[in-house]
Amino acid sequence: MKTETRAWEQLQRHASAQLRPGFADRVVRAARAGAEAVPSLFSIFALSAATAALCLLAVTLFNTTSRDTDESDFNLAGWQQIAADSEEFAVNL
Amino acid sequence: MESSQSTAPVELILRAQRGEPDAQRELIVAYQHRVAGFVYAIIGRSDSIEDIAQLIFIKMVRAIDRLQAPAQFESWLFRLARNTCIDHLRRQKLRRIFTPFAPEHENVPEPSGAVGSEELDALRHALDQLRPQDRALLALVQEGRSHAEIAVTLRSSVAAVKARLHRAREHLREHYQSPHEN
Repeated sequence: MKTETRAWEQLQRHASAQLRPGFADRVVRAARAGAEAVPSLFSIFALSAATAALCLLAVTLFNTTSRDTDESDFNLAGWQQIAADSEEFAVNL
Repeated sequence: MESSQSTAPVELILRAQRGEPDAQRELIVAYQHRVAGFVYAIIGRSDSIEDIAQLIFIKMVRAIDRLQAPAQFESWLFRLARNTCIDHLRRQKLRRIFTPFAPEHENVPEPSGAVGSEELDALRHALDQLRPQDRALLALVQEGRSHAEIAVTLRSSVAAVKARLHRAREHLREHYQSPHEN
């Protein structure tokens, strides 16, 4: 069992040697840099709400515009029909 | 791993919880070698030790303010380390499903003798045959943790820890062949 204990000690030493000098400084820097880069919960919600509002606006606009166009086409067709009927009526007179 | 480990004073942990970078740095320096050994025992690869240790300490720095009992800092830190290592191994396993590489291409084993003595190679080989959870258990024992502390770390009962430890030791003995015995 003594060799096993020695092996565990060697494992510990070998692992420790894999950490390059300045390890702690790098970790603290990385942790702080990452924390600043992570958006707050509020900003995530604000962005989601803004995106949802934009999407809703786009859908409403598209819907309104397409409905208006359909209505205009229908009206135009109606007027064209009236104009054609009037012309035909005038010719027959 | 040495069993007589120094513990960080509660004052240092409280300062780290308040976000003092010097205290956080001191804590990392105090535990970096022990965590590195712990990581190596579970992961089994030298080239991943620093990356995983860095990940563990970044998680520690970010979450330390949520630690309610500073006296249980060590149990908390080693639970964090254990979970990070096991997550890493799971992710690696999952990645292998989606990549066309065979495991032997992605996870080239370190050649024998490349990292240390025959004794260390024998131990690494034996640990490699165990489940990561059992490797973590043995590493916690080598860390000098008592059964009660391990139970807290693993959120388990002392009896369950003893039973699992017994089985893990049996498996290790089965696979550990001391070079001096050959």
